[in-house]
Amino acid sequence: MSDYGLFYRNWKSKIFNYLVRMTGDGILAGDIMQETFTRHLGHYGEANRDIPLLYRIARNCFMDEMRRRKKQGEVTETAGPEPSIDQDHRLMIRSEYRCVLSAMAALEENERELLSLAAGGDLSYSEMAALLCISEANVKVKVHRARLKLRKLLKEGDR
Amino acid sequence: MNHQNISLFIDDELTLDEKIEFVEEIHGSIPLKDEAVELLRQEKILRSDPVKRISEKVLKVTPLRVLRFLRPIGLAATVAAAAVLIFFFFPFAPQKTPETPYRFVFYRPDVSRVEITGSFTGWNAVPMRRVGDSGYWEHTFNLPQGEYRFAYLLNSDERLPDPTIQTREGDDFGSENSVLSIGGRAT
Repeated sequence: MSDYGLFYRNWKSKIFNYLVRMTGDGILAGDIMQETFTRHLGHYGEANRDIPLLYRIARNCFMDEMRRRKKQGEVTETAGPEPSIDQDHRLMIRSEYRCVLSAMAALEENERELLSLAAGGDLSYSEMAALLCISEANVKVKVHRARLKLRKLLKEGDR
Repeated sequence: MNHQNISLFIDDELTLDEKIEFVEEIHGSIPLKDEAVELLRQEKILRSDPVKRISEKVLKVTPLRVLRFLRPIGLAATVAAAAVLIFFFFPFAPQKTPETPYRFVFYRPDVSRVEITGSFTGWNAVPMRRVGDSGYWEHTFNLPQGEYRFAYLLNSDERLPDPTIQTREGDDFGSENSVLSIGGRAT
């Protein structure tokens, strides 16, 4: 297997999981993940191993897809996933994960993004700050607030 | 104590000295300890693998999968019969299902030929185009909303499902196909 093939194998799950947390949809996440690696290879070549850049490309692909869908009237005002995951996707999303994705979908877009990146565990707070164009101090505050909000939403969902 | 330290601890943003201080602080406060444990448990779920493969057993109890056994000859006969019925009952109102361009991309730099075969090609092998020297192969189909099964053929010999699509099912010949849903719900 080529070096890039190995890089792809090592990182595809990480990027896919990040995109599932962002979209709440496994099939859509797979499509965007594929586009991410296509763009990464096409624009930066086989030798590039910049992980923050890979996440940046994934984020851009996600935003492009949401813009495209919004234009076509497939999503509403918020660029996030639908709060409920449809029956077909229930088949593939792990049952214990469904309620977390529904709660994630109820977060503000920037909160969902911060938690999705933090949960990846691949970027430091300073790298997340650079990616999202906010200060590192802001990342510290917002990540914790988003975690508390997610916990509240999950508790409300349990009732 | 600054409660943000719980998140800094979860995300490994504390130095070792700060971690010692953090552990000592939560040791002296039950509410703080409880909050930290709750957030750690929540994070454990969030960081777990979100998807699982669909087992054949699950697929077989889904009514939609009956169509699988109709392909390719049975499906063609069904489509032909449906076309005749539609022609007789709705001769002046042909309804065209909107189609969306869908690009299939497959990375295999080490093969000389890649074809795609699936429910949307009538299970015929359609050659894919090599994208320069990138190792990628691509082909775009215009597909109406629905659920499709497909696989790639490498060098007209090896058959592989799409590695980027987690949903798969076995066919009746011992191979595995990727399951792709286009548009909202599968039809």
